[in-house]
Amino acid sequence: MATNGNGQRRQSQTDLMQQAASKSQSSKPKRHFRWMTMLLFATMFQLISMMPVMVNAEESELEIATVFGGFILVEWLYFICARAFAKQRATELEIIAFTLSGVGLVTVASVNPDYALKQFVAILIGLAAFIILLAIMRNVEVISALRIPVAVAAVGLLGVNLVMAETVNGALNWITLGSFSIQPSELVKVAFIFVGAATLEKLQSTQSLTRYLIFSLGCVGALFLMRDFGTALIFFSTFLVIAFMRSGDIKTIGLISVAAVLGAGLIIYFKPYVASRFEAYRHVWEYASEGGYQQTRVLSYSASGGFFGLGIGNGRLRNVFASTTDLIFGVVCEEWGLVVGFCVILCFAFVAVYALRLARHARSTVYSIAAVASAALLLVQLSLNVFGVTDLLPLTGVTLPFVSRGGTSMICSWALFAFIKSSDIKTYPILEKQMDE
Amino acid sequence: MNTVTKRAYVLLAIILAFIAGVSVLGAEFALKGETWATSRVNGHLYSGNEVKIAGKILDRNGVVLAETEGSKRVFNSDKTVRMATLHTVGDTYGYISSGAHTVCRDMLTGYSFVDGIYTLINTGEGKDISLTIDANLCAEAYNALGGKKGAIGVYNYKTGEIVCMVSAPTYDPENKPADMDSKDEYEAVYMNRFLNGLFTPGSTFKTVTTVAAIENLSDIQNREFNCTGELGTAQGGKIICNKTHGKIDFGTAFTKSCNSAYAEMGIAMGADTLESTASSIGFGRSFNVSGVNTAKSRFSLDGAVEIDIGWASIGQYTTLINPLHLMMVAGSVASDGSTPVPYFVVDKKREEVTEQLIKKSTASQVRTMMRNNVINNYGDALFPDMSFGGKTGTAQVAGEASHAWFMGFSGDENFPYAIVVLVENGGGGSDVAVPIASKVMKELKNSL
Repeated sequence: MATNGNGQRRQSQTDLMQQAASKSQSSKPKRHFRWMTMLLFATMFQLISMMPVMVNAEESELEIATVFGGFILVEWLYFICARAFAKQRATELEIIAFTLSGVGLVTVASVNPDYALKQFVAILIGLAAFIILLAIMRNVEVISALRIPVAVAAVGLLGVNLVMAETVNGALNWITLGSFSIQPSELVKVAFIFVGAATLEKLQSTQSLTRYLIFSLGCVGALFLMRDFGTALIFFSTFLVIAFMRSGDIKTIGLISVAAVLGAGLIIYFKPYVASRFEAYRHVWEYASEGGYQQTRVLSYSASGGFFGLGIGNGRLRNVFASTTDLIFGVVCEEWGLVVGFCVILCFAFVAVYALRLARHARSTVYSIAAVASAALLLVQLSLNVFGVTDLLPLTGVTLPFVSRGGTSMICSWALFAFIKSSDIKTYPILEKQMDE
Repeated sequence: MNTVTKRAYVLLAIILAFIAGVSVLGAEFALKGETWATSRVNGHLYSGNEVKIAGKILDRNGVVLAETEGSKRVFNSDKTVRMATLHTVGDTYGYISSGAHTVCRDMLTGYSFVDGIYTLINTGEGKDISLTIDANLCAEAYNALGGKKGAIGVYNYKTGEIVCMVSAPTYDPENKPADMDSKDEYEAVYMNRFLNGLFTPGSTFKTVTTVAAIENLSDIQNREFNCTGELGTAQGGKIICNKTHGKIDFGTAFTKSCNSAYAEMGIAMGADTLESTASSIGFGRSFNVSGVNTAKSRFSLDGAVEIDIGWASIGQYTTLINPLHLMMVAGSVASDGSTPVPYFVVDKKREEVTEQLIKKSTASQVRTMMRNNVINNYGDALFPDMSFGGKTGTAQVAGEASHAWFMGFSGDENFPYAIVVLVENGGGGSDVAVPIASKVMKELKNSL
């Protein structure tokens, strides 16, 4: 067995070397050309979408122009630095992250120019978080060392949140500090995956599983107390994915799921107001002026836009409450068209396939789990958002990653992309070299 | 390590579920997008609840019945035309659910799956639609009603086009009265009585009993009836006739509209036979008229005793008929027992359904009887050069004046139109409804 394994490894190493050799000879300029084309294409798309917003901005035209200019500048700087100095050979994820962030930034700025600068700053912080997290994720020892502090910080943050929470739209998930309001649950999402992936690397013992279970239960429970059912569901599904990745124990996971469904049933039984929040589900047209107000508007205006949209700024969904956060998918469909709207959500499916491929060949289970859990979290959250506002799922009020307005949501989205990218050995050229040697 | 990386395929399941969801969403947009985009929540098309932007609604001659000026809907410039066509065109608020504004809102916006309502928003113009009605004819018909409640409909029984459709009471959509809800004269003003109303048919129902008698009483043409001015029934009670007709045959019974004779026929045939004939003629059914489902005519003899059957045979008892349905009966009598389902929107997609309401051989006998009725009772002068056939009705309604009815058809191949006139609490059919029918049919003939 061992010999056989070694033989295979040697075999694949030779393959790798041959590939590397051929790359350095023929396909390098081609690759170079590809990322440049993609970046140019993305920039062109962004410039075209930015123009009508700047024309309509009137007195805040200068501010909007500065923000948009700054965004494109940062985008180019990142790619040039990443390619030239950090020797990054795969930048597909960043192209997608910047494109989605751009769609969000333009939409948010066109609905209300006052949001533009804040959203741009959020993108900058998100990008910074992305780079820092990539650095941290380089080393498994660092991850291990940070595991307990991060878990404690996450639980602490949710605890503080519970104590000083402010009710926003029926959920108690905001903390306001001066002029900044943050949504701790978004940051805890990152911690949740970090801790989940790191714990697993340690020991496959009952003790560590129990610890993670308690940690997860604490997070989901806190979110339930905050009545943020959407985020609680996102955490729960991510927990299931991590637990499965770790143990492969379908029986236990099935039991946990059944217990969760029963628990949810009990909550609905004893607290009927929880169910009444979802009474419009699949009946939105009967409740078009009450519980189905937002969904009916999203459906009606999205369909109005057709494939190519009514034009940025010409929509009406923008005037509906939460148009730049929960309902932004509808705004994009109405003004940019169904084609762009569906491309935006299909980007995430592409990212998930990409993450799956990386996870299959990751250098450690930590990275496999981090990448898979991040992609799963993004897809679940995206589904709750997009299918929620279109009445295929109950409306829970979660954001569309990268696109929705909101700083903490933006940081979380970039951080999750960092988890996916960190599972790619090509992200760390030095490590790659060491492994080859 | 290997097992863990294999478990990564759990992500594939999530991706597939997600793609399935996206596909469902796409399919929903393709299938329901039109309904969604044209719903009243759409602020592009409606302000508040009022239509503000849509294509023109034209009559058969291109007369504009409603159009958008700026972002406001305006109607025809003539007040009588506005009032006469209100129920066909529909109001901008959608209170009149059978009007083109509601029934054709998808067409009026020019929605398409690919373009959405882009054209409408950017040009301010939707898709124009043409109706089959003649606005001037409707105005004449409305005037002929003389301010009474009622309904008038005329259609081409060969093609199904409705050329005239009027329902009263009505109002002027450009100058809507403020206190309509509280006033009796505006009772059920939003209902198109012609499509959605149900009324006691009175003697017009004798056409149905005639059909049943021809098909079920073998010696009907040789049978003799003795009208003494009333007809006693087995369990007691009498059917009262309008006159004492003495000894009469089947044809005369129809022309004189003899209640005694018709009640006797009905009782002789029995409840089941009458019910099955009524059902095959279209009672209990709704017809899809350009997307409006008409009210179902009712004929039921559940638990009826002899006197009830007698009254039902002459269109009383619990019997109710929809005016459009009665018009279809007139049209099918004229045309070998069959008629296309009427329609009033030219461009709206529809299934071309032909209804065989009466057997062909029966229809030609009834046709002769109705033709004789006009010759003997009203004279061809009222319906010149039309070979007109018809039947009046004076339907008794509890505590109020009778409904005046007339149903008729032109037997002229080149002028294949059938008409129904209803004047609610208007009095006698021949005194009130026939002159109105005469006026409308002459006007129609002149306009062609």
